Amino acid sequence: MKHNSFRQITPEMTDPSFIEEIKKMPGGDKILDCIQCGVCAGSCHARFAMDYSPMQVLKMAHLGLKDKVLSSSTIWICASCYTCASRCPRGLNIPAIMSGFKNMAMKNNVRAPIELKPKFHKAFTEIVSKYGRMHEPELKMKITNKANFNELKDNVTLAMRMFRKGKLKLQPSKLNSSTHFSDIVKNVLKEEAKK
Amino acid sequence: MKYAYFPGCSIDASAKEYAMAANAINKLLDVELIEIPDWNCCGSIDAVHAYNPLLSVTLSTRNLALAENMKMDVVTLCSACFFTLSRASNMLRENADIKSKVERAINDAGLKYAGEVKVRHYMDVLANDVGYEKIRQKVTVPLKGLKVAPYYGCLIVRPPGIQKFDDPEHPTSMDKVIQALGAEAVLYPDKTSCCGASLVITDEEVMMEMTKHPLLSAKNAKADCIVTPCPMCHFNLDAKQKDIEDRFDVEIGISVLYITQLIGLAFGLSPKELGLHRNIVSPDKILEKLQVESKHGQNVVGKH
Repeated sequence: MKHNSFRQITPEMTDPSFIEEIKKMPGGDKILDCIQCGVCAGSCHARFAMDYSPMQVLKMAHLGLKDKVLSSSTIWICASCYTCASRCPRGLNIPAIMSGFKNMAMKNNVRAPIELKPKFHKAFTEIVSKYGRMHEPELKMKITNKANFNELKDNVTLAMRMFRKGKLKLQPSKLNSSTHFSDIVKNVLKEEAKK
Repeated sequence: MKYAYFPGCSIDASAKEYAMAANAINKLLDVELIEIPDWNCCGSIDAVHAYNPLLSVTLSTRNLALAENMKMDVVTLCSACFFTLSRASNMLRENADIKSKVERAINDAGLKYAGEVKVRHYMDVLANDVGYEKIRQKVTVPLKGLKVAPYYGCLIVRPPGIQKFDDPEHPTSMDKVIQALGAEAVLYPDKTSCCGASLVITDEEVMMEMTKHPLLSAKNAKADCIVTPCPMCHFNLDAKQKDIEDRFDVEIGISVLYITQLIGLAFGLSPKELGLHRNIVSPDKILEKLQVESKHGQNVVGKH
């Protein structure tokens, strides 16, 4: 469904509760303030790679097209550069809304058009939860498709380039107070489970 | 001038030279960065935040709580950490529900955060606490004739609402530092465009298309080098430059320095001390132009 085919929307495609869900997300409270001016679409540095512009995604959200929004590439391509947010005349925090959509898509197991994306978010969170800090080589290992020779080759090339300059950290950094840190992570998971 | 210093994971690994150079120039600028003990990941712009927003804000808050004990402003070199810590600090102020959940998570582990910490980027410290005049006074090797493209990227100036110290559309703080060093800050179209950040991991094709623009614009503006205040921008512009050249069949060959490295050169510090040997695109061309010995970094033969 492209922008010019919004007329083909049928009631079965819409979810009237979607807008209420969005309003509860951080930054989502202003979703209905969008006036479809297109400043976000015109400003977006990654628009060329998206199936819908940010403006179109916001319109789709207004219409309750939950499935279309959550399976769009737009929400995953957004690089959180905040150009749209700093220009939006209505003060919408569009990257925060995109981030909220990613969260919804992952929670509802919506198949992402770019498979690597949800894997990246999950792996990144796991590594940070484990060590307290990021360890890039492990992140790369976790999400690389090892059956893809070209992908492996590119990873090795980049790793060598980094290694020669002393930029590749082989061992992860660990916190001194790792117990205290993992207590905090556990507490967050408990808070999440309360919902 | 003392600050609670938040390094962040990139500085701890691929971007060490940014901090090496900062430490070297700090001595001359009377800036002291005292590392926050046992800091953890800032919480990430979006990697953790989209997966588990509460965890992301809690990670940020643990850092803010540790810094609060130090009773100083938090300063970070990384634009992404700057944004993430600032966002958490705003969210704790504005979102009572998140605040109470985060508090329960950290209080239970014996930490408290009163919400008093101010988060600042190192460029803010240079521009507003140190000041351009003091930077000018410390210059021993004026960077005469060097054309520098300041690349601000995104999160140092955006979004509005974070600790703002520069204009989001036409920032000038790095331009003024560059001019204070005796170099020319070139005007070019992409100084606040986006490098694609973590898309380097999840969608390299898109990232390369995005990073190509500032690289080519800087080259077209005849810049000798690009400077950046962000480890993520640096990675994409420097470490991925060769891949971008190959992918689009273009020659770029422009060295990318951290702003602290450029300042260090003008202060007469050795390339080695500034970690210039760690930059992937060789900075030899600009060292030659400045007549600085690059190999061992001992003989600075520029004008003193």
